Order: sequence, then C-alpha cells, then structure tokens
Amino acid sequence: MKDLSIPIPGFMDYDNAEIILKVGGKHIQYNFRVVSFPWDDDKDTSIYNDPLARSLARIYRLKGAIEGYDKQWELIQIFNPSENASHIQVLYRKRK
Amino acid sequence: MIKTLELTKVFRTDEVETTALNKVNMEISRGEFVAIMGPSGCGKSTLLNIIGLLDNPSGGKLFFLDHEVSKFTERNRTNLRKSNIGFVFQSFNLIDELNVFENVELPLLYQKVSASERKRRVEEVLDRMKISHRKKHFPQQLSGGQQQRVAIARAVVSKPKLILADEPTGNLDSANGEEVMNLLSELNQEGTTVVMVTHSPTDADKAHRIIQLFDGHIVTENIKQIV
Repeated sequence: MKDLSIPIPGFMDYDNAEIILKVGGKHIQYNFRVVSFPWDDDKDTSIYNDPLARSLARIYRLKGAIEGYDKQWELIQIFNPSENASHIQVLYRKRK
Repeated sequence: MIKTLELTKVFRTDEVETTALNKVNMEISRGEFVAIMGPSGCGKSTLLNIIGLLDNPSGGKLFFLDHEVSKFTERNRTNLRKSNIGFVFQSFNLIDELNVFENVELPLLYQKVSASERKRRVEEVLDRMKISHRKKHFPQQLSGGQQQRVAIARAVVSKPKLILADEPTGNLDSANGEEVMNLLSELNQEGTTVVMVTHSPTDADKAHRIIQLFDGHIVTENIKQIV
C-alpha cells in the first residue's frame, strides 16, 4: 500500500489542507491548497462574441494567473470547471 | 528530438467541431523524461498519438528526429515509427491469441529481424522484465502488473529512441504501478527518451519536466515536483 486517499469535507477555495503523516516514527508534512482563478467571468470575457476568442481569452487569463502565482507553491492539478462556472479550481502543493 | 510548431488538431463531425490541440508549441530533447498532465479531455492523448505518428495533425508542424513528419506519407510515418518509437498503453494492448514470447517478438517480425536474433533479443528483454518464466503463457493468464511488464518488453525490444506511455499505471495497483514507473525511469536513465501521459502526480514526480495541458493549450511547464 503506497497511497492514501483522504476525503476532506468542506474544502473551500483558498483553504489550506495540512496533512501530517507519521511513517516509521518519522513525521512527514504536506500542505495542499485549492486556488480558484476567474474563468467564465462576464466582466472580462463577455466582450468576445466569438466562442473561440472567448475560449482563448479564458485560457490566456488562466495561464497568466498560474504564471504569476506564489512560487512557493507548485501546481499539481487543474480541475475541469463545470459548465458556465465563473471560476476554475487549481490544486497546489507547497514546495519543501 | 521532438518539436511542434503551432500544432493543431480539430475533430469534426457533421454538427460539432472540437479543437483538441490549439497551436501547441513544445520541444522535447533526447534523453528527457517528460510527463504530460491535465484534466480529462484536455488533449493529452491526442498529443501523444500525434507525437507517436499514429495520428495526423490538422495544422502546424511536427518535427521528429529532424524530419518534418506532418506531411509524411502513411508508409514513411510507419517506417519511422516502427524503428524509433515504442508504445505503452493503459490497457496493455497485448494480443490475446499470442503468448508472451510471441507478443514481444512481434515488432521484430515487422522489422524483418532474423529468427535467431529475435529469439536472443526477446529472451534478453523478458529476463530484464523478470517475466521469462511466463513466456509460454497467454495475456489472460497473467496479472495486470505482469501484462504491463510484457507490454513494456514489447515496447523496448526493438530498442526505440522514444517510449510513449499513455497512463501506464492507470490499470495497476500501487505496488505494480511503482514497479512500472521504476522500469520507465531505468530505461530513461539508459538514454531512452520517455514521454508519459498521466493523471498521477506521484508518477509525474519521476519525470524531469511536467507539461500541463488544458483545453488543448500548454498552460504551464517546467514544474518539477519535489515530494
């Protein structure tokens, strides 16, 4: 057994989840964070009538947000946003 | 070794047009171990299939070993693929009617390698994958971990320069998954370039570089995880 899956109830945008494992008497600590970046936000993307241009605008904004994010945190996963979601969630893990 | 310029792939039906890859630019050098990550439907497997010359891009350019292959004929692409690229799939894709030895021998038959040389190379790679004792068995008689070791043996028996792995641990338990990842890392350390699509951050940790795809775009890369 090499992996543990831990449900985290009520884990919200910008919440930190701190996981402390004790393996063979040694403590190992992980810090995870889910960050919510703007996605289908009417203020910024509704100026594009063309769906392709709108999609590109969303992607470039996401790219910029990820590039500008705190470098102490590394990107682990980008989650698929639900339809018409105003925000997109990204999972980060704190660098050691 | 691999370079893409504005690589685009569009799937069209009568009603819908889906852009799976949208002007993707990337470069992979010889000897690298690259992981491609991203949510379902982001274009990971499409990118891998195009890099592996299994599919054609709709636009842009693909360079493989200094050849501009996007315009190659099917025959030329097949020749380049079978002498340079090995594939490992999530669902193993072994041929049920062939035994382990015959499955691994198959790429060498396509390359018209002599019978004695085929026997030598297949036995060598089965030894290495610690699966020699099952060489007369058929895929259905093996565990998932054993089947994936056979699939890796088949991928490397022709000594490819590049291994493309699509979710290689996706159907395996964690112990067998780790073993498969260790095998891919060993092959990479010996000089084989590895490009792997994965959902697993643990597997991606083995790579030198992680490319994150989203909606057919490269969103970020060069993030090396530390845990």
